[in-house]
Amino acid sequence: MLLQLRKNAIAMLSILMAFSFTCLNSTQAAAADGSEILKQVDRNLQPDAYEMYRKLINVEPDGSKKEFVLYSVKKGQDKMAALFLSPASEKGRATLRIGENMWLYIPNVGRPIRITSLQSVVGGVFNNSDILRLDYSAEYNAENLAEEGDSYVLDLKAKTTAIAYDRLKMIVDKKTVLPTTIECYAASGMLIKTLYYKKPKDFGDGLIRPSVLETDSPLYKGYKSVMIYAKIKKKELADEVFTLNYLSKVDELR
Amino acid sequence: MSSARSCIFFSFLGLLAWFSVFIFSTCRADEEFSFNLDEFEKKPLDWGGYVELKWNHAKINRDSVFLQLNPADDSDSSLDQYSGTLQFDGSYNLKSSTFNWLAQASASHDDLGWYDVADVFEAYASLRPTPLATISLGKKSYKWGKGYAWNPVGFLNRTKDPNNPEESLEGFITAEADLVKSFTGDLQTVALTTVALPVVEHINEDFGETYNVDLAAKLYLLYKDTDIDFLILLGNSQSERFGFDFSKNLATNFEIHGELAYIPNQKQVTLQEDGSLLRGEESALSSLLGIRYLSESDVTSIVEYYHNGSGYSEEEMGNFYQLLAEGNAQFTTAGLNDQLNTARELSLQGYGRPQPGRDYLYARITQKDPFDILYLTPGITTIYNLRDESISLSPEVAYTGVTNWEFRLRYTYLEGNSLTEFGEKLNSSKLELRIRYFF
Repeated sequence: MLLQLRKNAIAMLSILMAFSFTCLNSTQAAAADGSEILKQVDRNLQPDAYEMYRKLINVEPDGSKKEFVLYSVKKGQDKMAALFLSPASEKGRATLRIGENMWLYIPNVGRPIRITSLQSVVGGVFNNSDILRLDYSAEYNAENLAEEGDSYVLDLKAKTTAIAYDRLKMIVDKKTVLPTTIECYAASGMLIKTLYYKKPKDFGDGLIRPSVLETDSPLYKGYKSVMIYAKIKKKELADEVFTLNYLSKVDELR
Repeated sequence: MSSARSCIFFSFLGLLAWFSVFIFSTCRADEEFSFNLDEFEKKPLDWGGYVELKWNHAKINRDSVFLQLNPADDSDSSLDQYSGTLQFDGSYNLKSSTFNWLAQASASHDDLGWYDVADVFEAYASLRPTPLATISLGKKSYKWGKGYAWNPVGFLNRTKDPNNPEESLEGFITAEADLVKSFTGDLQTVALTTVALPVVEHINEDFGETYNVDLAAKLYLLYKDTDIDFLILLGNSQSERFGFDFSKNLATNFEIHGELAYIPNQKQVTLQEDGSLLRGEESALSSLLGIRYLSESDVTSIVEYYHNGSGYSEEEMGNFYQLLAEGNAQFTTAGLNDQLNTARELSLQGYGRPQPGRDYLYARITQKDPFDILYLTPGITTIYNLRDESISLSPEVAYTGVTNWEFRLRYTYLEGNSLTEFGEKLNSSKLELRIRYFF
C-alpha cells in the first residue's frame, strides 16, 4: 500500500515537472518570438539613421486646434533630436534624447535644461517620450505573444523604471508586421493612453509604414492628438550631432 | 487717475479687446489635417521674433529708503507704465558657416515721461568645418550653469532676473572655439568650449577693468547619465574664478542640479558701521543646489537654495540701508546729498545688484493644464531672503492656447521689515499684464 502511494506520488511529480517544463519552454519560445516580432516592428517603422518631418496637432473638445511642425533626426537605438520649425512661438526650440536622458533647448534661455519623459513640450496628449520615441525593442521586453485573427498581440514590459510607460499592449498586423494599436499602461495598471497607427504610405527606399499616429487618453477626455509623418529618409549622421553643444544648431542639418 | 492716464489705460484695454476678438475668430477655423512640406523647405535666410505689449501698475513704497535715489513724484502712491518691445532674431546660413543676430528695441511711458532703448544682443559668425568643431566670432550671449534662478558659475553670463530667468540677455564680444566628441560607455560626451573676451574702450567695457583679454573655458562631460561642467575664468578684467556644476535625473520626474564657484580674490567694497568704506580682496565660495519635480497631477516644482559667497551679510546690508535713511534725512532737512551720493556709488559697486544678500531660497510651482484647460499654466514664484526673512511672492497665470500668442498676468507682492531687502524695495506690490505675439 505504502509502496503504491510512493509510486503514485513519483508519477504525479514527474507529470507536474514535465508540464512545468513544457509551459516554461512555450513561454520562453513566445518571448523569443515576441522579441523577434518587436525588432521587426522597429525595422519596419524606421531606418537605423534618418531624418524626418512631422506635424503634431492637438485637438480640443470644441474642435479648436494647435499645430506644431518638427524636424527630427535619429541614430541607432537611443539617440534622437527634434527641432521645432513652427509655430513661430516655438520655433528654434530643440529637444535631445540619449537613452533616458532628455534635454530641452529654448533659444531665449540659451542653454539646454533637463526635462523628463512624462512632461510634454507641446501640451496635449503626446508627452516627451512619444515625441522623442526610441526603438520599442530598446525600451521594452516582449513577455507574451498571442494571436488574434490577423494580428499578433504583444505584451511588453519596460526594461527599467525610467521608461515612461511600464507596460504596453501592442497589436501588430501579421501581414505587414507594423503596429496598429498600442495601449500604454502605468505601473499601477492604469491605462494612460492609446496610440493608433493609421494610413500606410510609401516613404520611398522600401519604407512603407503608417503616416498618421493618433492618440487619446482617459486622462484627457475629449482631447485628441495627431502626428502626421511627411518625410522619413535615411541620413548619415555623426554621433556628435546628438550632444548638448549641437542642440542650437540642429537646423543646419536640414 | 489723471485724464491722460485714463486715456492711455482705456486705449490699452481697447487694443486688448480687439486682439481677443481677432484671435478667437481666427483660431477655431475648422479644416482637415494637412501637411504641406514645401512650406518648411530650408532657406538660407531665417528670421523671427516677437512684439510685446506690457502694462505695469506698481504701488510705491513711500517708506522705502531708495525713494530719494529715484525720480518719483512725491505725491504719487502708484505708478503706471506702458511699454512696447520688438525682438528680432535670425540667421543666414551658407554651407558650413552661419551668421546669427538678435536685436531688441523697446519704448515705455509712465507718469514721469518716455524712455526708449535699442540694442544688439547678439551678432556673431560661426564656422563648422565638422560636427566636432565650431569656431565663432562676434557678440554672443552666454548662459553657463545649471541653476534656474541663479548661476554662480556663470562667469560670462549677464545677471538674470530670477523672476524672468528665460528672457534674452545682451552678450559680450568674444572669439570662441568649441570641440565635442561622443563615445560609447559610461562617458558618452566630452566637450570643450574656450572663449577669449577682450575688454578695451567701447568693447565689453562693462565686463571689468579695461585693456585686458580674459580667457574662459568650460569642459563638459556626460558621464553615467550626469551632466558635469568644470569652468574657469582667467584674466585681469575680473578676478580669477573656478567652478563646477552638475545635473542629473534621479527618476523620470525628479531632477537634481547644483553649482559651486570659488573666487580666490574677490574685490569687495564694504560699508562699515561708522560709515567708512573698506576696500579689499577676500575669497568667496558660492553654491547652489536645486531640484525639479513633476507630480502625477502635472505640478512642476523648482526649488533652489543659493549661497552667495560674495554677498553682503544682514548687518552689512543694514548699514547700507541706514546710510540711505540718513541720506534721505540729510536731504530733507539740509538739502545736502553727500550721503545719498555715497549710497548711489555703493549701489553701483555691488549693493544695488539683484539679490545682494548671502542666502536665498527660490521656489517656482506651476500647474499645467488645470481643470482640463489646455495651455493654461497658473503658477507662483517666491524668493526668500533667508538672512533678513523678507520675501517676494508672485502668483501668475499664463495662457498659450492661441497660436503664436502668449498672455501672462502676474501680481508681485513684497513683504519685509524696514532695513530688509524686500521691505525696502521701491515697489510694495506690482500688477503686470504682458502680451506677446510671435512672428
